[in-house]
Amino acid sequence: MAVGASQLTNYSKRFAQIAALLIFLILTGCSIIPPVLSDYGPSPSPLELVDTPFYSQQEFQCGPAALMTVLTASGVETTLADVSRQVYLPARQGSLQSEMLAASRAAERVPYVLVPTLSSITGELATGRPVLVLLNLGVSWLPRWHYAVVVGADADREQIILRSGTDERRVMDASVFLRTWRRSDFWAVSLLRPGELPANPDRSRYIEAVAGLEQTGHPQAARDAWQAGLSIWPDNAVLIFGLANAQYALGNLSAAELLYLDMLRGDAASLIARNNLAMTLVAQGRNRDALEQIDSALELADGSPLLEELLDTQRIILSAVNGASN
Amino acid sequence: MQKPIVGYSFNKPKTTRGTSMRSTMLQNFVVRLVSLSLLSLGLLQTSGAAMIGTQQGIQSGAQAARIVRIETILARDDVARQLVAFGVDPLAVQSRVANLTDAELLVLEGKLDKQVAGAGVIGVIGVVFLVLIILEFVGVTDIFKRV
Repeated sequence: MAVGASQLTNYSKRFAQIAALLIFLILTGCSIIPPVLSDYGPSPSPLELVDTPFYSQQEFQCGPAALMTVLTASGVETTLADVSRQVYLPARQGSLQSEMLAASRAAERVPYVLVPTLSSITGELATGRPVLVLLNLGVSWLPRWHYAVVVGADADREQIILRSGTDERRVMDASVFLRTWRRSDFWAVSLLRPGELPANPDRSRYIEAVAGLEQTGHPQAARDAWQAGLSIWPDNAVLIFGLANAQYALGNLSAAELLYLDMLRGDAASLIARNNLAMTLVAQGRNRDALEQIDSALELADGSPLLEELLDTQRIILSAVNGASN
Repeated sequence: MQKPIVGYSFNKPKTTRGTSMRSTMLQNFVVRLVSLSLLSLGLLQTSGAAMIGTQQGIQSGAQAARIVRIETILARDDVARQLVAFGVDPLAVQSRVANLTDAELLVLEGKLDKQVAGAGVIGVIGVVFLVLIILEFVGVTDIFKRV
């Protein structure tokens, strides 16, 4: 009996040590020094988008509620039930980040993933756009993922104001916000109307967001967004290519042709521009011009990963030539 | 309420208890129907097959464009099946996968259960776990006093 009791005590001691460590980790959130707002870049004077709508979440449905908030703030007319149908995953009782972006595209909005700094959030707030964020309210080994919408920041009081879950105006200490946001790798998204630019635009993030719209079949939104991008990066070949592709998809073939030619003036060896130019020409019935373009592309295509694609284009043009001569 | 589909090789999210053979067949039929309509969606999107998309143009150094396209079509099919298995209304699946980019599809393929899913409420298991730790801690302290 005595031996058994002492073994139990040893076991309990070890358990106590582990439990104490766990509680320490929970309380500290695995970080010792609390971050402050000023560590994350200069913050403007207190700012709150008080008109941002609020949709209280139903059980586990913070994703749909938060997305509904930013969609409505961006002028999209929809319902919580419809948003839920697009992003809620019943068996996971939650919503995936990529599906939150996908549903924004479905609503013809550009889901721009912000540069992970607090100033990029406050920049969006200053232009009147609330920001969708993913937080981990738990800790890394016991995560509690939560979507919320940042609607305000107050650097003097070190506070962040959110539409969150069932709280219409959740005031969070900046240090808590920054810790919980950091655990999601600072995931934050602003929904841009096509044609709007982010407050602090990052070119590659912007291109990725707009290319996603093009890829998922929203050429009109993509066109407006590429045009906005070209207003600040006028000579960028990717943006010109993107706009040309959007014009092609919309059937504006002569506009597309001019843009591909523009791109080829910058880089005569661009296979993607020449391939798409050839496709644009054949779509206009200008088969000989098209053949000329694709042949000059094929001369440069030795060992290119695009070779198969170029040969496909050549076949399409040749069959158009044969069809016309019959 | 949508029950998970049985008979596919990916990890099933929940138990399949009580799923009768008949409803399984029905669900398999629905999945096939969705897959078929997705396939036609894929064909629709690649009808201008020789056009090179912007994202594809940026990445074209990495891999042959045609291989990427085939991989994406397969990934789209896989993600659609997973969504149905995770309880999404089959009628909503088509538009959900249609708005995912190629890169997102390739990330989700076969891994829907491992992605972060923002839920917003502290799960019951989490609460119980924390309470257990604290309760045990209190009990353990008594043992220390006795020693």
